[in-house]
This record gives sequence, C-alpha cells and structure tokens, in this order.
Amino acid sequence: MRRIAWLVPIVALLAALPAAGQATAGHFYDVDKEVRFEGTVREIVLEPRYKGTAPFLVLRVEDKARAKTVTIEVSPSWFFGEDVHGGENVKGIGSLSEAPDGTVTIIARELQLRGETLTLRDKRGFPGWQGGRGRKGPKRFGGF
Amino acid sequence: MIRNKMRCVVLLLFAVAVSAQAGTITLAFNQHATQNLFQTKDAVADQISAFSLALEKDMAALSVFANAEYSAFHQTAGLDFFAADIGLDYLVPSGSKSAFYFAAGGAGAFYSDYYAGFSTVGGGLTGAFKTYLAPSSILKVQWQGTYASYADSLFDYVSQVAVISIDKYFQTRTTLKADAEYGYKYFLHPFEPEAAGALMEPAGTVLMATGGGPGGPGGHDSGSGSGNGSGWGGSHYEGGSGFIPRTGEGGAGIGHVSASFLAAQGIGDVVGLSASAMRQWIVSGENPFMSIEEFYLVPNPTSDSFSWEGGQLTGRITLSLPWSIEIKTGYTYSDKTYPGVDSMDADGLPTGVVRNDIRHLFEARLEKNFRQFTVFLTYSHVDNASTDPLFVWSGGYIMAGFQWSLSAGRKGGRS
Repeated sequence: MRRIAWLVPIVALLAALPAAGQATAGHFYDVDKEVRFEGTVREIVLEPRYKGTAPFLVLRVEDKARAKTVTIEVSPSWFFGEDVHGGENVKGIGSLSEAPDGTVTIIARELQLRGETLTLRDKRGFPGWQGGRGRKGPKRFGGF
Repeated sequence: MIRNKMRCVVLLLFAVAVSAQAGTITLAFNQHATQNLFQTKDAVADQISAFSLALEKDMAALSVFANAEYSAFHQTAGLDFFAADIGLDYLVPSGSKSAFYFAAGGAGAFYSDYYAGFSTVGGGLTGAFKTYLAPSSILKVQWQGTYASYADSLFDYVSQVAVISIDKYFQTRTTLKADAEYGYKYFLHPFEPEAAGALMEPAGTVLMATGGGPGGPGGHDSGSGSGNGSGWGGSHYEGGSGFIPRTGEGGAGIGHVSASFLAAQGIGDVVGLSASAMRQWIVSGENPFMSIEEFYLVPNPTSDSFSWEGGQLTGRITLSLPWSIEIKTGYTYSDKTYPGVDSMDADGLPTGVVRNDIRHLFEARLEKNFRQFTVFLTYSHVDNASTDPLFVWSGGYIMAGFQWSLSAGRKGGRS
C-alpha cells in the first residue's frame, strides 16, 4: 500500500482543481441538432473555442450539400494525434451550433477521412479524446 | 497483494474522477486468448482478462490524466500484474498553424512471482512541435526521454528518442510520409558482478552469471541458469532460455537510427490503403544481455525497439462500413537482427551466429461503435523463423473488448 501512497496527494490535487472551462451559452453538443457534412478541407487552424480549454483543431470545409464553407470543430488534442491536410475530402456527423456572434459551426462527433472513421464523441455527444496524447495501448503485436 | 493495490487505486481514481467532475472517465475490459504466451517453440496457451480505468481532466491548455490497469492470467499462475500511470500534458499554440506539445508523466508496473524483476517505476518527458508548412504538408519534430527503475536493477535504464517527419497530401488522395529517428538506450548497470555461479533472484528466479561461451549459460533445455525450465515464464513454463546477463561492470548503451516511408491511398469513401517500409541500423553499442525474449503483454526491457536492426514492410487495408462498423486488416514482414545476442543450438550452446528473426504477422480488427460504448474483436497470427531454434514458433492471438467512456459533470457533451 505504501508504494501507491504517492498517488494520494496527486489525485487529491486533481480533485481540488476546478473543472475545465465553463460552457459557452448556446454552444454545446445537441444530439437533436445532428447533421451530416461532407466536403473538402480548405483551411486548418487552431482556435480557442471554449473559455478555459486548450485551442481546438478547426477545419474550414467546403460543404458539398450546403454549397458553402462550414466550420467543423474537431477536438483539442487532435492537432498532434491525427494529421488532416488541406485538400482532403472529409465527411462526418456533428451537431449544428450557433455561436454568440452568429457563426454556424458543426461540432464533429464522427469524422471519416482516408477511408477511416474517427470517433471524436460518443453518440450522446460526450468527448472521447483523452489526455496523454502520446500514450499507447497494451503491448501486443503490430498496430491494432 | 497486487489485487489489493489495484482495488485501492481503482477506487481512489474513480472516487476522485466523479467528485472532481473529471472530463472523461473511460472504463475498458479486454479479454485475451493466446496460443503462445511466452513466444517460443514451447507454446503455452493462456487467457488474460484486463480491466482498466482512465480519467482525464482539462484545465485550459493543460490536461491531467491517470490510468490504472489490472491483468489477470487464467491458467499460468503468478503472472497477474497491475500497472498505473499519471501525467500531464500541455499544448501551446504558436500561431494558428503550429503548436508545441509538452508532456510529463510517471508510470509503474507491479508484477509478481516470476516476472517480479520486471516491476518498475519511472518517468518520462515529451516535447513536440507540429506545423503546417502548407495546407497539404505537415512537419513534426518530437523528442522523448524516459527513465525506468526496476526491481531487478540490471534493467534500469535511461533512453531518448528523437523523430522528425514530413508528409504531403496530393489531390489524387495520396499521402506520402517520411520519418527519420534517432534513439539511444543506456542500461545503467546491466551486468552481474560475480564471475560465475547461480544467483537466486529475490523473487525466486535463478539468474546465471556467466561470461558466456560453450557450456556457460543455461540453454534451452540445459537445466541451468534461468533456462532451467522456469525462466521468466511462470511456474509451469518449461521452455525458454530465460534472461541471461553478462558479467562485468558499469553501464552499456545501444543506439540506432531509422528511416521509414509510408504511402497511403484513399479509394472512395470506404477503403483506405497504406504501405510502409522501415529500415533501422544500430550505430553504437550492442545488446548488453546474452538473451532476448518477448512475452505477450509483459514488456521485457531487454527486448524493444532499441534492441534490433533490420527492416520491416507493412501493408494495411481499412474498410469504413455503414452502421459505424470498421474493419482493418494488415500484414507485416520483419527481418530483425539482435547485435550482441548469440543464437543457441538445440542443446543451449552458443553457435557464434548473431540471432536473426524473420516474422510474418497478420492482423485483423473488427470494431463497432454503439451509442454508449465501443466493442471490438482483433485477431493476430505470427509465424516467426529464427537462427535460434527456440524462437521458431507460430501462434494466434484473439482479443475482444469493450470501452465505455462517460463524461462526469458535463452536460450535453461539452468539451
């Protein structure tokens, strides 16, 4: 038990710290406003999206169905975890959200690119990304 | 003992996660079935149940994470282990197209009985930079340093790895990527001080201190050294040369450089193809230990990406199907030579030939995402040929699992 005693003050510190950020009014994942999107990535930027959180990876996508550029909010950790390129075709599912300044954004829940599906949030909209971006799973063979 | 530790840590983490309204709590269960736990010609089948709890909390650009895992072996006694890690990382944007990433963490793994020497605590630091040279081209640079201290101090080491990569996406939906890596691992004191004689490990494993040479170390079935049949593989393990240190003093380092190239192609919305090639060269030192073994799920500090030179070719197909189903299949061919490690013959005597393994690995994964959790099934099959007959083996591995993530204290899936 003494070996894990070092964990106690650390997790106690975790408990004492305030929860990250406060929700921005009108900008949250609403499952009732889910839409599909598909288009070509025209711009990739890191943008502050929520008060008290890391900047988000944001894609400006030329949406085929809407015939205009939409903003796709991806996640805070993806900038290092996955590589999205300008010119790539992406499609996915997300929640339409309107920011206080009237900008329409899609908060992505699922993103498909290069034939792979990347799940960013569960079907209730809860984020699935985690800290420790360099961490790996159990030691097995290969990369699966 | 380990179960008690695991219970304490898991309960502690869970209680803190809930009370602190942590960003994400992830519970996972994986069930493994293997035909060859110790990956030698003397196959030992087993099943492993692994439970894990992870939590993560964001505080502005800082993210704190913790993870605890317990693995229970069903048929081989004394191999259950508990592992935990905790750390924080920090993302620092540099303009809208670039960012720095820093991480620091500590980790511990606590094994029992025959793997007790592998019990370890350690820490690591990571620094990385990523930038878009153009919208379709990314440059990444990363450095990672690690220190690990083991119950058996022979394995204590420091290591560092530096990687630089650049990629380019083309309108043909083709991505090309090139990587270069330098790595160096320094075992702080990998040698046995005694010139001869069997030393009893605290955990009961017998290590043979020897300078090598014919008649020296315990061989495959020689009944001496850690190759006496008990090895590192548990109380019922009857094969393996075990772990054999050399005699000597001081530390020993091994360094490598590697280069890899990847081409990926998207076909329609469903299919993704990729092919990659990697070549690694040892540029300084050699393995300080006389033997190298891999164990399923249990990292052996003498057998990792620092221990070999050679090449690897990989091909993968990914299918993204309706109803949130994804299928991945892959094949990897590897040709690895382990400098400093002698092949042994069937009698356990060194042959003077540096060990070389050629491996064919097939993998497949089926994954389905449901509303609140994800389930998956993976299958791997390995055919391994080696200049050391002990390591001529083949076997299949199955893993099934589910992962359930829940967000504590955050309404509506906020970040």
